[in-house]
Amino acid sequence: MPKVTIDGRTLEVESGTNLIDAANRAGVQIPHYCYHPRLSVVGQCRMCLVKIEGMPKLQTACTMQITKDGMEVTVDDPEVQEAQEGMMEFLLINHPLDCPICDQAGECGLQDYSFKHGQAFSRFRYSEKRTYPGRERIPLGSNVVLNMNRCIQCTRCIRFTEEISETGELGFFQRGARTEIGVFPGKELDNPLSTCVVDICPVGALTSTRFRFAERVWYLDKKPSICTGCDVGCNITVEHRRGAIKRLKPRFNEWVNDYWMCDYGRTTFERWEEGERLVTPRIRRSNGSSELVATTWAKAVRRVLDRLGNAADPEATAFVASADVSTEEAFLLARLAQAVGSSKRRVVVESGPERSIPTVHGVVSGSDEGPNRRGALLAGLEASTTDEMLAALGLGDPDGGGLELLFLLDPDLGGRESESAFLEAARRADTLVVATWLDGPLAEIADVVLPLATTAEKEGTFVNVGGRLQRFEPAFPPAGQARPGVDLLIDLLVGLEIGWRAGDVEAVFAQLAKENRLLAGLSLSDLPAAGVDLETERGEAE
Amino acid sequence: MAFEPILTRNIRHPEVLSVDGYRATGGYQALAKAYEMEPGEVIDQVKASGLRGRGGAGFPAGVKWGFIPKETGKPVYLVANADESEPGTFKDRLLMEKDPHQLIEGCAICCYAVGAHVTYIYIRGEYAEAARILEEAIADAYAAGILGEDSLGSGYRQEVYVHRGAGAYICGEETGMLESLEGKRGQPRVKPPFPALVGAFDCPTVINNVETLCNVPHIIQRGAEWYASIGTDERNTGPKLYCMSGHVERPGTYELPIGTTFSGLLETAGGMWRDGELKAFIPGGASAAILSAEHADIPMDFDNLAEAGSMLGSAAVIVMDQTTCLVKATARLAKFFAHESCGQCTPCREGTRWAEMTLYRIAEGQGTMADIDLLDRMMKNMSGTALCALADACVGPVASLVKNFRHELEACVEQNGSPYPERRYFSAEGAD
Amino acid sequence: MSGNGSGRLPAAIVDELARLAERYPTREALLLPALSMAQKHWGGWLPEEAIEAVAEHLELAPAKVYGVVTFYDLFHQRPVGRHRIRVCTNLPCQLRGADEILEALGDALGVGEDEVTPDGRCSYIHFECLGSCDTAPMMMVDEEYHENLTPESTRRLLEELD
Repeated sequence: MPKVTIDGRTLEVESGTNLIDAANRAGVQIPHYCYHPRLSVVGQCRMCLVKIEGMPKLQTACTMQITKDGMEVTVDDPEVQEAQEGMMEFLLINHPLDCPICDQAGECGLQDYSFKHGQAFSRFRYSEKRTYPGRERIPLGSNVVLNMNRCIQCTRCIRFTEEISETGELGFFQRGARTEIGVFPGKELDNPLSTCVVDICPVGALTSTRFRFAERVWYLDKKPSICTGCDVGCNITVEHRRGAIKRLKPRFNEWVNDYWMCDYGRTTFERWEEGERLVTPRIRRSNGSSELVATTWAKAVRRVLDRLGNAADPEATAFVASADVSTEEAFLLARLAQAVGSSKRRVVVESGPERSIPTVHGVVSGSDEGPNRRGALLAGLEASTTDEMLAALGLGDPDGGGLELLFLLDPDLGGRESESAFLEAARRADTLVVATWLDGPLAEIADVVLPLATTAEKEGTFVNVGGRLQRFEPAFPPAGQARPGVDLLIDLLVGLEIGWRAGDVEAVFAQLAKENRLLAGLSLSDLPAAGVDLETERGEAE
Repeated sequence: MAFEPILTRNIRHPEVLSVDGYRATGGYQALAKAYEMEPGEVIDQVKASGLRGRGGAGFPAGVKWGFIPKETGKPVYLVANADESEPGTFKDRLLMEKDPHQLIEGCAICCYAVGAHVTYIYIRGEYAEAARILEEAIADAYAAGILGEDSLGSGYRQEVYVHRGAGAYICGEETGMLESLEGKRGQPRVKPPFPALVGAFDCPTVINNVETLCNVPHIIQRGAEWYASIGTDERNTGPKLYCMSGHVERPGTYELPIGTTFSGLLETAGGMWRDGELKAFIPGGASAAILSAEHADIPMDFDNLAEAGSMLGSAAVIVMDQTTCLVKATARLAKFFAHESCGQCTPCREGTRWAEMTLYRIAEGQGTMADIDLLDRMMKNMSGTALCALADACVGPVASLVKNFRHELEACVEQNGSPYPERRYFSAEGAD
Repeated sequence: MSGNGSGRLPAAIVDELARLAERYPTREALLLPALSMAQKHWGGWLPEEAIEAVAEHLELAPAKVYGVVTFYDLFHQRPVGRHRIRVCTNLPCQLRGADEILEALGDALGVGEDEVTPDGRCSYIHFECLGSCDTAPMMMVDEEYHENLTPESTRRLLEELD
C-alpha cells in the first residue's frame, strides 16, 4: 500500500484512495464543498487546493488519488490558506448572508469554513449581489425546496440524481455567474431518495419541506438509531428536542445504506408523533366489564400473570409480535411462550413496496413493513402474515374459537391492526393483552393494555434483510409510563417464578448470544458501528 | 527579404476549393508521401519541425501526437479545433473558407501518424459559411478517393466529419470541446487524465488547432529541416498567421515567419489607422497581457512574448491608438470572459463577473483607489486556482492593466470617470 | 407535456439524425445537431415541447437537455424575429465603431435588444467576437456575415431584408 505524507504525518493507504479521505484519516481536514466520496469528482469548488511537493501550482486534493509511494502534501501553509480565503471570498460575494432566517444555519459549510478560512469582513463594498429573483423558495418536488440565492453551484445534488438515484431530474442551467440548478420546467424532483439532496447540499440552498423552520439545529439532540420503515435497516440519526422528533437523517454505513436513506423512511417517526400515545397501563374493571381503567404497572402485570396462570390449555395461549420488535424483545417473548408451555409464538410480517438503497457494495432492497423479521426468527419466533397468523390461531372465523389468551406485542401491522376485521378477530380470544405505544382501536378493546416504548425510546438490535445485526440506542426516555418491551417481558418472566432473574437489555442480549451460535461471543455494548454480518461473516464460520 | 506565403498561398485562388484545383497546386502529395512512411516517421518529422500548437498554448504538436498510446484496443480520434473564438482571431476561418483541402490533408496525415481513422472538425456554430465549404470539400474528397475506406489506395481508412458548435467560447478549450462534441455542456474536464489517454468518447484523442494541422502537409512535403529554418530559433519555427485588428490601417491576416516584430507587422498592415499614435497592443488575443507602445520592437514569438509577461496565444494582435481608454477596453474583455465562463468553478464564475463589474465601475467614476488594489489581489486569487485556463485568460489583460497602466485606472478614480471622451467613429469623424 | 404526438420530432429530423448517428459512438453526441435542427423547425427558438421531443428521441433526461440548451448562445429559449441579427461588440469591433452600429440598429428597428419587432421580422442582440475583426464592424444576419458596416449601410441592409 502506498505511503503518503500529509502535514508531516505519514500514513499508508489503499491504492487509489482520494487525498481528501486520506487526509481525514491522518486527522487533517481539507475543506471542500463539491467533493463527496460517493459522487464523481468534478474539482469545481476549488476549496481543497493544497500544496503537493514537485508540482508548480496548488492542486485540488479531490482530484488526487494516491497510487504511488511518497506523495508529500502540505495543507497547513500560508499559500494554501490564502487560496482558501480567496475561494471563501468568491463564494460569499453573492451569498445573501441570510443566516438568521436560513434553515441550514448551524450545519452550514459556508458558516463552518468562514469561521475557519474566511475573514471577518468583506472587501466587496458593492451592494449588488447576483440574485435569482423569484427563485428564493422554489419547491423542486414535494420534499425539497430550493433557494437559488444561497447556492454555491457545487453540483452535488445534480450528480446525486444522475449517479445515485439515476433519475436525472436536476440539471445545471445557464452558464457563468448566472449558472443555476433546477428541474426542467413542469417536472419535479421525484424519486424515492430525493431528500438526500438536502443532506448533501453543503449550504442552505436545498432544504427539506418537512423540516423547514421546524427547529434550529443547535437545539437538536442526536442519537444513533435504525430506521423502522422496512428491513433494509438504514442507519439513521434521530434528531429531537426534548423527546419531540424533528427529523431522521441517514447515518453512514457502507454495508447497508451508505450515506443515504429513502424519503419514506424519513417519515416513519411521524406515526409516533401524530398517533395518540398510550402513557398508562389499563385493565378491565372486572371480567367482561366494558370499562377500561388506568392502573399501575404492577397491577397490570399481575393481571396478565393471573390470566396466564388460569389458562386451562397452555396451547390455547398465543404470543404475537410485529416485525418492529427488537431481537431481544422477540427472544423474551419466545421465552415467555415457552415458559407458559405454548408453541404459538409468531412474528407477523406484512409485505410492503420494495425499497432500495444503492450502496457502494450493491443495492440493498427490502420489502417487509417492519425492520426485524430476521431478528425475530433468530430469536425463536415463527414468521407469518397477519392473515396466516389469524387463521393458524383459529381467530379467522367466528366458529374457530378456543384461544384463551392472545398477547400482542407492538402490533404495528401497517394499519391492519386498526381495521375492524382484525379487531373482531383479536377480540375472539377470551383474554386480549396488548402492549403498544398507540392509544388506538386495539387498545380500546383489549383486556390489559400495556404502554410500550417506541423504537426511538428503547435499546436493542435489529437484523436487516441481508442478515446484518445492528444496534440502536434510545434517543430519549419513553413517554409517560411507557416502558421498553424488554422491561415488561422481564417482569412477566420474573413473575412466573421459573427462576428468571431481572436484568437489562445487555443481559438479555448476552443470554441470546450464549444460546445462539451465530451470535457467539458478541456483546451488545461492543457491537461494531457497522453492525455484524451474521450471514457471511458468521454463518460460514459454523 | 520577401516571405513566400505557405499556409495562405492559395487564398486568392478559388479553384483550390475543388480537389482537382487543390491537386493542381501540389495538394494531397504530402498525404501520399506520408502513406509511404511509417507512422512513427511522420511523428518524428513533425517533432523535428518544431511545430508548436497555433491555438494558444503553443504545445509541440509532434510531442502531443507521440502521447497517443499504441494498441489500447480503443479507437483513436482526431479533433480539429475550429472553434476559433478568441477575440481578435480570424485566421482559421480564412484557412477553412479559402483552402479547405489543406486542412483535410493535414487531418488525414495526422490520423495516419497516430492511428486514427476518424476526424471531427469541431467548428464554431457561427462559422456557417466555413462549415458549408468544408462539407463540400469533404464530399469532394470522398468522391476522389482521398477519404473513405481506402484513402489514396493506401488501404488506410479516413473519415472526416464536421461537427458544429452552438456558441460558447469555452468549447475552444480542449476538454470543453470534447464535452460539447459528446453532446454535453462544454464544461472543461478535470485533468489528468489528458485527452491523449482519455479524450473523445473516453478514447485516446489528439486535438489540434486548424492552423497547426494546416502546417503539417508542408512539413511532410518539404521536410522538417526546411520548416525549422523559418522563424526565430529552434523553439519558435515556421510561418505564423498574425491577425491584425483594431486601429490599424489594413486589418487582416498576415502570414510571416514566426518572430516577426510587432513594428514589422504593423508596417505590413499599413501602419496606424487614420494616422493615430500607437498606445498599446494585445499580442495574442483577448487572454494576453496588454503591452505598451514601448514593446513595439518585440519579436512576436512564443518565448519573447512570454518573457515580456504576455503571450503569443492565437497571434491575434489588437492595436489601440492614443484615443483608447484602456480601462474601458479591458472592461469589455472582462465582460467577454464573464459571459463565456462556463460557471462550474468558483474563481472563474465569481471572479470574472466581479472583474467586469469593478472595471466598469471604475471607468464610470464610481471606483476608489482601494478597488484598484483589490482588483490586483482578486486577479491573484483567480490565477492558477481555476479548473481550466479561462480564469487565467481573464487575469491576462486585467492584471496587465493594473501592472502596466495603473495610471489609467487612477485617472478614472481621480477624475470621476474615464478621461477619454467616447469616440464617435462615424458621425463625428465623418467617415461614414 | 409531450407524448401526445405534437411534441415529437418531425420525420425529416429523425431521418437526418439516423444518418448522422453513424458518425458517433454514442447517441448523446447527436444532441447539438438535433437541437440545431429542432430550433430551425420550431421557428428559430426552442420551446419546451421541442426540448422534450429531442430529449425523448435521444433518451436523455429533459433537465440534461435543458442544461445544454441554456449553455450555448446560439440556442434560444424565447421567440425570435424571422431574421436574427447578432452584432459583434467585442473589443476589435468596438475599436472600429461597433457601438454605433448597435445604436443605429436599435434606432432603425425601434425595439430593444432581444425583443422582436412588432411585424415579427427582426430581433437583434450584441454578441461576442464572431471572428471577422479584419472587416470590423460587422454583424451576422441569420447565418450570413455582413462586414465593414457603417450606420448607413446597416440601415440599408435592414431595408433589404424580407
